[in-house]
Amino acid sequence: MELIAKDIHVKLGRKEILHGVDFTARAGQLTAIVGPNGSGKTTLLRALTGELPYKGSVVMNGHDCARIKPHQLAMMRAVLPQAANLAFPFTVLEVVRLGLTAGLASDTPDMSDRLPLQALARVGLAGFEGRHFHDLSGGEKQRVQLARVLVQIWEPMLEGQPRWLFLDEPVSALDIGHQLVVMQLARDYAAAGGGVIAVMHDLNLTAMFADQVTLMDAGAIRATGTPDQVLTNERLSAAYHCQLQVNTLPPLGGAWILPQAAEAG
Amino acid sequence: MSTQTISSPALGQKAVAGDRRSLSRFLSFILLGALGLTMLLSLGWGAADQTDVLAALTGTGSVRDQIIVWDIRMPRMLTGVLVGAALAVSGAVMQGLFRNPLADPGLVGVSAGAGFGAVAAIVLGGYLPVAVIALVGNYLVPFAAFLGSWATTLLLYGIATRGGRTSVATMLLAGIALGALTGALTGLIVYYATDDQLRDLTFWGMGSVAGASWAKFTASAPLIILTLIAAPFLARALNALALGEAAASHLGIDVQKMKRIAILTVAGSVGASVAVTGGIGFVGIVVPHLLRLVQGPDHRGLLVNAALLGAVTLLLADAISRSVIAPAELPIGIVTAALGGPFFLWILLKNRNLVEM
Repeated sequence: MELIAKDIHVKLGRKEILHGVDFTARAGQLTAIVGPNGSGKTTLLRALTGELPYKGSVVMNGHDCARIKPHQLAMMRAVLPQAANLAFPFTVLEVVRLGLTAGLASDTPDMSDRLPLQALARVGLAGFEGRHFHDLSGGEKQRVQLARVLVQIWEPMLEGQPRWLFLDEPVSALDIGHQLVVMQLARDYAAAGGGVIAVMHDLNLTAMFADQVTLMDAGAIRATGTPDQVLTNERLSAAYHCQLQVNTLPPLGGAWILPQAAEAG
Repeated sequence: MSTQTISSPALGQKAVAGDRRSLSRFLSFILLGALGLTMLLSLGWGAADQTDVLAALTGTGSVRDQIIVWDIRMPRMLTGVLVGAALAVSGAVMQGLFRNPLADPGLVGVSAGAGFGAVAAIVLGGYLPVAVIALVGNYLVPFAAFLGSWATTLLLYGIATRGGRTSVATMLLAGIALGALTGALTGLIVYYATDDQLRDLTFWGMGSVAGASWAKFTASAPLIILTLIAAPFLARALNALALGEAAASHLGIDVQKMKRIAILTVAGSVGASVAVTGGIGFVGIVVPHLLRLVQGPDHRGLLVNAALLGAVTLLLADAISRSVIAPAELPIGIVTAALGGPFFLWILLKNRNLVEM
């Protein structure tokens, strides 16, 4: 099962941000979208999730996303926003329970009581359920939102169909330990059959965890493939407009990207 | 662990920290009891009170007592219950819709819009074709008030919300402008009123349940009851909307449809209540805010309890308005403004960050 986007054009105001992007992601894989600021990564993600109006088509598990009702779509995929501001003073548990809005695959009162606590434990926030969301740090808030998103599509497969997890910079506000927790969680979700599409800033985490990488620049896709194929000296240096040195990390064999200082005088 | 852990009192079941649903249900029972008490109080409260209320209620009292209780106090009490509930619920729905605790129909011109509709119907209604008047009858004023508040809410939402984000400053300022504009139009129409109509308008304009009658009550009650029934169905969507429009839509909410229903609900309850009692301020902001402090912002419990506490609050305010300068009466709008004004300032000071953007 796949998510296939074809010829996606997005305009914000009068400016066209995406110029006919083709994008494919497979279930069972973690697909990372990388690229410099303003390259259109988040815009692509927001088009894929239907948050922005677009021209072109997005087909998920064989269904045209533009033709599916919101509540049906909510059973198939969940979206972690970059940052969320909450209008009222909800507790952490109440925020995570919002993930139940779409309804559960197996909706029993017992399940809907247990699942939010399980999800909080999964993101390393066990014991936080009674806190006020507003009192948390940025990284904690992001993980609470992730727990809410997980509750929405807890089982990676539903009736033989993969479910999709969209993550917009899921680790940008996190310390290194929690970055690994969240990336591992995304990997596990893909390993269990779900599809994960993540906009990433950290190239090293991308190299460590992604199955597929899409490199974007200036509203277009420059390269698609495995991390080894995409994360190369020439491609990255050209896209990010700076000198990057891609090394191979001996024990894991993964890429290890280091910035090179600008040549002095 | 935090010292600020919130949990419900254990009501025969183990409560998870942060889960305030049983607290909310517990509060519903208390408020239901309080409402029963205040309803009885309201029936028994009279200026020179020799009335045996219970005898009148059971039909064994004197004819005079029965008239006082059934024809004067009963419609007044029931009007207070419905209008109080409608004001508090419309406030809560509007705050959820605008994602802001400062949104209140009275503050942002929605009540003024309803007032314009009502005044226009009272003064200009006579110019309508006889067939139309015969058709709509008593419902003309509430319906016109509903149209007025609906138009104002739509306009306000259109001005203050852009791309799913509501600017609080724009909302409050646009509300002031809309209020002034509709106020001016209302004044213009009042200029054309006859003496009889003028007396009607003056009484009504102060915000009062004193003029309540069975005729006015039955004209407005259906619309209010309809919105009170509709509001709890919005609760789930309003909760999701607290995360923003995009997140709500990702959670499976049809956001556009839900906004249309929420605006209709606010307009219906504000319009119908303004048509009976005129503008009564601050109930819509104070009641939901107090409840959020106690039971949290979950709209599923909030909307139900707001209806109950709103009714209690209005009946109590009515009792105060009848006793402060007895045997004369203060308009109830003065009482709610005197109590609600300082409270609103307190909320404003606590939420400074919301306004200063």
